[in-house]
Amino acid sequence: MNVLTLPAQPGQDTAPRPVPWRRMAWVTWRQQRATLIAVPTVLAAVAVFLVVFGLKAHHDYAALLNCPLDQGQQSNACAKLFSTFNSTDWPLANTVGILVQLAPVLIGAFAGAPLLARALENGTYRFAWTQGLMRERQAIAKLALLGVTLVVLAWAFGELFSWFFQPFLWTEQISRLTEGAFASSGIVFPAFTLVAFAIGAFLGMLLRRVIPALAATLGVYLAVRLGAWALRGQYPVTVVTSNANQFSAFGTPSQPGFAWILSTWYTGPGGKPANQSAVGQLLEQYQSNPHPTVSVGQTLAEHGYTEWNRWIPPSHYWPMQFIEAGWLLVLAVALMAGTVWLVRHRAA
Amino acid sequence: MTVFTPPASQLDRAAGPESRPAPWSGMLWVTWRQHRGLLIGVSVVFCAAVAGLLVTGLRIHHDYALLTACRPAALPACQGLSTFFNSTDWHEGEYPHIAVQGAPVLIAMFAGPPVVARELEARTYRYAWTQGIGRVRWTAAKLALLGSLLTIMAFAISQLLTWFFAPFMTTQQLTDLTPTVFDTSGLSYAAWTLTAFCLGVFLGALLRSTLPAMAVTLGAYVSLAAATWFYLRDHYPVNTFWPMQLFEAGWLLALSAALIAGTIWLVRRYAA
Repeated sequence: MNVLTLPAQPGQDTAPRPVPWRRMAWVTWRQQRATLIAVPTVLAAVAVFLVVFGLKAHHDYAALLNCPLDQGQQSNACAKLFSTFNSTDWPLANTVGILVQLAPVLIGAFAGAPLLARALENGTYRFAWTQGLMRERQAIAKLALLGVTLVVLAWAFGELFSWFFQPFLWTEQISRLTEGAFASSGIVFPAFTLVAFAIGAFLGMLLRRVIPALAATLGVYLAVRLGAWALRGQYPVTVVTSNANQFSAFGTPSQPGFAWILSTWYTGPGGKPANQSAVGQLLEQYQSNPHPTVSVGQTLAEHGYTEWNRWIPPSHYWPMQFIEAGWLLVLAVALMAGTVWLVRHRAA
Repeated sequence: MTVFTPPASQLDRAAGPESRPAPWSGMLWVTWRQHRGLLIGVSVVFCAAVAGLLVTGLRIHHDYALLTACRPAALPACQGLSTFFNSTDWHEGEYPHIAVQGAPVLIAMFAGPPVVARELEARTYRYAWTQGIGRVRWTAAKLALLGSLLTIMAFAISQLLTWFFAPFMTTQQLTDLTPTVFDTSGLSYAAWTLTAFCLGVFLGALLRSTLPAMAVTLGAYVSLAAATWFYLRDHYPVNTFWPMQLFEAGWLLALSAALIAGTIWLVRRYAA
């Protein structure tokens, strides 16, 4: 028998090379195309609604711009415009605003929980994780590709919603810094979406079942939102002032919005703490007078009291956004790292 | 070769108990086994909600009794009570109310779709639907058990919440017809919970896949609720509390029945 043999060539690399990363783009698309098609479609449908309704709201708002916010100073025509706006435009906008608060967790949970958990639940990980591309690389590629896509979509949607909601910030005297408006605008909205996605993926790997992971993601995200709310007043951007008159200046539409007053307290003569019930009585007396001749600050000053406020000016919006988006990003990356660690160390 | 064959009439009688459908009571155990996660989870949440509403509600009612007993109302001490009630007690009353309002949405998402869709997705219907009881009775029994349990729990919670929230009706100047109050009182809450469940089950049977069914059910339920809030309620033929409650419960019940009928029709249609 003649056998032809070729000696091993020294230059040839016979070790198996890992599959190139770009193949993961195709795999992610094939596996996740339901999510990648459904999320933009739903967001687009809501966006159409926001555009149509938002144009109407902006049109109604333009008619209000010359009216003062203070109901005591409004003319009859202005009062009528305000009341129409508050009964037709505001209820729907308020409902949409509440639903938009849920958008990050819904997108994140539905995209993140099945990402890895579905393969574990179905047993298909035995096939998928033993391909030429290592399992950690698969997980990293899926998390990165889907994460970036969701962040971009969420950012675009958040910008549209901010435009939609902008008239109501003034008419309802909502500060951009308070929970609902802050978490659904700027870079914090996509940051929350990314965190929800990361929570979903992590819990999916931890619990190995899709629907329990989904339910747990909703719970954990709620905890993160409440934590962010509690933390927000502690950011190093607060200002303490004894000049209470400046707050009335925020009422004009040209200003960047309302301030967020965190706490108010009163001091007596010489800076000593004031008797709170005495101050309370004085304020109630002042408020029971429908046509005050002096401002509340002057009334307090006459009795030797000073009003102190710990507050955040609306100009500190972007520093706060960066602080919050920063720690949310760190949390999301930590959760994704934890997910990849679980992929590596779990036999199944 | 001699073969003994009994006459045909004897064959029918000799067929024995195997030819009779399995008893309905067997479905009690099957429903428990297959849905114990859901049943335990919902029961835990229900008990926690009842306990929380009772404890907080007794305190709120106590504070309200003190408030109404404090006369004359302009006294600083009475004003202080009023301020406290409208801030601290109101927060303790507002958030449970919001949470209870959100529960039917969670029922729609988590309770409904897996009931039929999980069997279809995992292909276990080939086994489950060829048992002695037959697929129609299997589905009907499950839906009846789970649906009635959820409805009864929802009704209990809504009655407890109505008692819990009663003081705030005066202090917050709400009426029976305020949308948020109307949703959680009378028959409305139980009817919405049942509709949420039936919607989830039907969409699960239609889409044959749990996760898409959950997403679609969420969208459908929210759209239905929004349409009712902003449009339908204005066009009811009645406009006082109980007639409106009966009308709303009526059409929601009809919708639930239609959805259950649709689910059973879909279950019959699928080739096993």
